[in-house]
Amino acid sequence: MSDDAAPAATPPGVPAVEMHGISKRFGEVVAVDGIDLHIGDGEFFALLGPSGCGKTTTLRMIAGLDIPSEGRLAIFGEEVASLPPDRRPVNTVFQAYALFPHMTVAQNIAFGLQMRGIRGPDADRQVAEATTLVQLEGMEHRRPSQLSGGQQQRVALARALVNHPKVLLLDEPLGALDLKLRQEMQVELKALQREVGITFVFVTHDQEEALAMSDRVGVMSEGRLLQVGTPTEVYEHPANRFVADFIGRTNLLEGVTEGPSAMRLDAGAVVAAPNELAAGTPAALSVRPEQVRLHRHGEAPEGEPCLDGVITDATYLGHAFVYTIAVGPTAGAGGTNDGDRTATITARSETGSAALAAGESVSVSWTPAATTVVAD
Amino acid sequence: MSTLGTAGTKRSARHLLKANAWFVFAFLYVPIVVLVVFSFNDSERVNVWQGLSARWYGEALGNTQVIGALRVSLIVAISSTIVSTVLGTAVALALDRYRFKGRRALDGTVYLPIVIPDITMAVMLLVFFAEAFKLIDIIGPRFTLGVTTIALSHIAFNISFVAVVVRARLDQFDRTLEEAARDLYATPWRTFRRVTLPLIAPGIAAGALLALTLSLDDVVISAFTAGPGATTLPVYVFSTIRQGVTPELNAISTLMLAASITLVVASLALQRPRSTTP
Repeated sequence: MSDDAAPAATPPGVPAVEMHGISKRFGEVVAVDGIDLHIGDGEFFALLGPSGCGKTTTLRMIAGLDIPSEGRLAIFGEEVASLPPDRRPVNTVFQAYALFPHMTVAQNIAFGLQMRGIRGPDADRQVAEATTLVQLEGMEHRRPSQLSGGQQQRVALARALVNHPKVLLLDEPLGALDLKLRQEMQVELKALQREVGITFVFVTHDQEEALAMSDRVGVMSEGRLLQVGTPTEVYEHPANRFVADFIGRTNLLEGVTEGPSAMRLDAGAVVAAPNELAAGTPAALSVRPEQVRLHRHGEAPEGEPCLDGVITDATYLGHAFVYTIAVGPTAGAGGTNDGDRTATITARSETGSAALAAGESVSVSWTPAATTVVAD
Repeated sequence: MSTLGTAGTKRSARHLLKANAWFVFAFLYVPIVVLVVFSFNDSERVNVWQGLSARWYGEALGNTQVIGALRVSLIVAISSTIVSTVLGTAVALALDRYRFKGRRALDGTVYLPIVIPDITMAVMLLVFFAEAFKLIDIIGPRFTLGVTTIALSHIAFNISFVAVVVRARLDQFDRTLEEAARDLYATPWRTFRRVTLPLIAPGIAAGALLALTLSLDDVVISAFTAGPGATTLPVYVFSTIRQGVTPELNAISTLMLAASITLVVASLALQRPRSTTP
């Protein structure tokens, strides 16, 4: 498939997609607000964010379906901001696939080739290759309405990939599939991307999907790009409170920074917390549940940040327990929450360890390196 | 409803409804059956049955006035259908997808010819033509009422019907399909031809057939806008009926009925959603 596909004359180091100050306004509404982003050649890049955060609009601007109100947009160094979609070297897999209902699978896949004047045996061969690539042999003469959701998705992929785009855009490509199929397709899409070597930019609101599939993730909220990094970076070192909260589950312990290495928590302790914020900044300490260690009351190891508390809930998940623990100076006394002075922490522990019950007094601790201080 | 005698009430309700359905059916179709049967009557007089014969069909088709009127009807119907289908489709497309000045006003008034009484429309068009001719006369050529004015009048009301039918089809049309085509290197024109047009074609064809039927059936507007030299078939029938119903008119009416039913059935068949099996 990729024999004549390689974006031939691309000098090394030129980003597949390059955005400078890209904004999009619809009347009064600012959908995308000054995005700067480089997506590398061959990258599997996820734009992640809640619905209405501007991620789909960003994707549509790369496709040419929306024209930026401001900013520069280049694909492999070529300025494209003012080019219509039919003159851009990108193709899109639409959210609901947008297959042409009046054409067969083969006709759908051949559409882009036809529009570029590729016909006859050459087109037939490329359609056959694309059909094989997405494992749809034997379905060529069916109509989209006769296919399952998963099969329709494969047609949409083949219809885009047959054109050997320089960048493939995917808008919530797995959103319409059920959970099991979605997980299968995650693996398959990743493998497919490695096989064809094309830059994939995909939009999703599902953080697990983004972390599982992509080389790098861009987290968006309210039209802004908040953080770009590898899944590990955004998960372990979220840039701000939104990212920490949105990516995975986390405990956000409110407090105030006290210099570059400590933080005073509202829950009543001063703990080691490396940060780059000015002293006295209101912030939150993000501690992932799997980083929280549980100890019998008062038995936390020396030198680790720790808090005392009471287990308020224990949930058995089969492979792990999830505990909810009320921590803070008043938590031990009857376990009542008194708002400001108490925080709730969730912790996970493997099922092998001794189970604890609700009502037990415990101490929790963590390694400072596994935490991040985040501000708004 | 009381529990006592519920079954009996239900049964009688069912019988009543069934009887009503048959009554309505008869009400609608008995006159048609009578018309068709008597069109095959051999008698000179309409209401005296004298045996089966196709002689009045022969008479009708041999009548030069009938053939002349039929010719006018077909010219008007076909030309007004073609023009109104193109214009009506264009109006529907414009209203569906563009935001332009006066769009709301046009949206509200494009359907007006459907609800305006025929007689109002007819008078309106007649006055309009009279005034227009006065203006044109100043420039030079003399225009009179005739085939052209009938056709123009039919175009005037048919545009609305075509626009309504096509617009209904456009409402169900998924615009993402056009974006997909654009994304797959199709120019706006090729997107329209390869994706939009094939998908709304059943709506356009249904609108065209409806226009054809309406044009062939129209009496009032045609009667007002027809000149002395040009009469459509329905207007001819209407004018001759004043001298009494003849078996020949039965035959002509039956033929028109057959043509209309064929067109309406075809139009309905086209408006049906596309079946999913090949």
